[in-house]
Amino acid sequence: MAVIGAFAYEEDFLAAAENLKASGFDNISLLSPLPLEEAQEVLGLGKSPVRRFSLAGAILGGICGFAMAAGTALVFILPTGGRTIITLPPFLVITYEMTILFGVLFTLLGFHFVSGLPAWRDKPYLPSANIDHFVVVVEGAAGEQVARAEAIIRDAGADEIRHVEEDQ
Amino acid sequence: MFDHGQPSYAEVNKDVLATMLETGPKYWILLGTTMGVAGICFFMPWFYQLIVGVGAAGMNRNAVWGTYLSNFIFWIGLSHSGTLLSAVLHITNSPWRKAIYRSAEAMTLFSLMTAALFVMVHVGRVWFVHWSFPIPNQMGLWPNFRSPLMFDVMAITTYLTASSIFIYMGSVPDFAAVRDASTGLRRRLYTIFSFGWRGTAREWHTLGWAYTFFAVFVVPLAVSVHSIVSWDFALSIVPGLHHTIFAPYFVCGAIYSGTAGIVTVMYCLRKFLHFEKYIGQVHLDSLGKLLIALSLIWSYINILELFSSWYGGTSFELEALKFRLIGFYAPLYWEMILFCAFVPLLMLSKKIRWSWNKMLVISILINIGMLTERFIIVATSQPRKFLPDAFGFYFPSWIEISITIGSFAIFATLFLIFIKWVPSISIYEVKETLKPLRRDA
Repeated sequence: MAVIGAFAYEEDFLAAAENLKASGFDNISLLSPLPLEEAQEVLGLGKSPVRRFSLAGAILGGICGFAMAAGTALVFILPTGGRTIITLPPFLVITYEMTILFGVLFTLLGFHFVSGLPAWRDKPYLPSANIDHFVVVVEGAAGEQVARAEAIIRDAGADEIRHVEEDQ
Repeated sequence: MFDHGQPSYAEVNKDVLATMLETGPKYWILLGTTMGVAGICFFMPWFYQLIVGVGAAGMNRNAVWGTYLSNFIFWIGLSHSGTLLSAVLHITNSPWRKAIYRSAEAMTLFSLMTAALFVMVHVGRVWFVHWSFPIPNQMGLWPNFRSPLMFDVMAITTYLTASSIFIYMGSVPDFAAVRDASTGLRRRLYTIFSFGWRGTAREWHTLGWAYTFFAVFVVPLAVSVHSIVSWDFALSIVPGLHHTIFAPYFVCGAIYSGTAGIVTVMYCLRKFLHFEKYIGQVHLDSLGKLLIALSLIWSYINILELFSSWYGGTSFELEALKFRLIGFYAPLYWEMILFCAFVPLLMLSKKIRWSWNKMLVISILINIGMLTERFIIVATSQPRKFLPDAFGFYFPSWIEISITIGSFAIFATLFLIFIKWVPSISIYEVKETLKPLRRDA
């Protein structure tokens, strides 16, 4: 069972989130129509692991870019004016571009991995969270937890409270 | 920030989504016209050229590069301000970016696509274009990565990929807003586009980090792309092209023309999609100031380019310089100087900077000047190489002129399709610029 509370005001929403956390509810989602740093702080979200994906992608891209350019030069040997076969200045350009390409692609991968998107099953949601409401969702509540969560949400000044059965 | 009072969150959703969900006959007429012009002016002449060969274009010995490449540089240049400006302003946390960046990024994407089309038109046998990519082919050949043209392939492919991801990821929360506001097939499509976005704190947090990293990657990428395009020319030893200043010259010119392009696009969005509430004087004023700074840098680099050619004192550089300043194409050169160095100075006046109509005219003149600049770089250098027996003359054929006109129609078509599929103003970022919804407010 999920308990959903929709708030018209940011401060009520944040108060509900803080009270729920303080009461021991760990499985809560905070939905908002815009990014709110305060909501992220309530959930204790610090530095995102996405940055590790970006770094790994950039390093891998750099290595692959140079290996591709140098490998091609070694396989298809094209002597030019007595210069070296593996020439750094032009190959660094390819390395640079591949560093960025892989960095971007791995950041995208990191985003999907960390955020859990695409969502393969329906999750408790209110469309007003994408317009002008701030929504608290307490997921996996059972028994007396439902009533307790509902009381906290109501006390914080929710406009609307719903109970939703969750997909397993 | 807002000229007509602050809108509510719900109004932002309603206003922006209305431009996607409500379509009048004017839109279809305009789309049909741009598609028709693109077909007649771009694709039909291109098809004709494919049948008769590249000889249908005005390029020949002495000038084997012509309008196709100057248009390629122009469109790559126009692509520069969108993603680059958006990324720089995101990193520096500038609030005035939020209402205009989505369309500016779209401009980047569509300019890049148009530029890529010019490469295909230029190469002649377009069905062999995959030979320029490092993928197995029937000839058993791999590209020569020492060539600046291969730098181009890698840079533009990376830029196109990064720009597409940058605009897409920034649009995911807004796709969710479209999903919630629509029904039927559209709802199903946007459910897929939005990846099931709910707007949770974790999703916002991850998107914020990822988006910042995209921006950090995109800034040096954009600078590298136009530097690399400049090296297509500067790494040759052709007089008039072999300048070390070319990379910053091209990057500056690209940002300059791109910023002017943003002003033009913003005018159209404001006028035709009725975004007066969101795109206001603060945006126009900021873009105007940016254009003044860029025009001064551009003018300085132009003076340096002339000076270094003159100060070098070699006869072939002086001949190329003379041909540019007083030769057949001199009127175009001086038109470029007028439009790109002098006309923008009018924006020093706040009265002009605050007038949408005047800024529209100036932005269009700047881009005419920048298109001319690219033509002059290509058309006045190769026909004046070293010895008089290598001298020649280049004038675009009707095929090239028609394809040039058609490219603008392609860009307009892509943009018109974009405004019906993607919210042209970022809904959630505009909300960030509004005062928060507080009980005590």
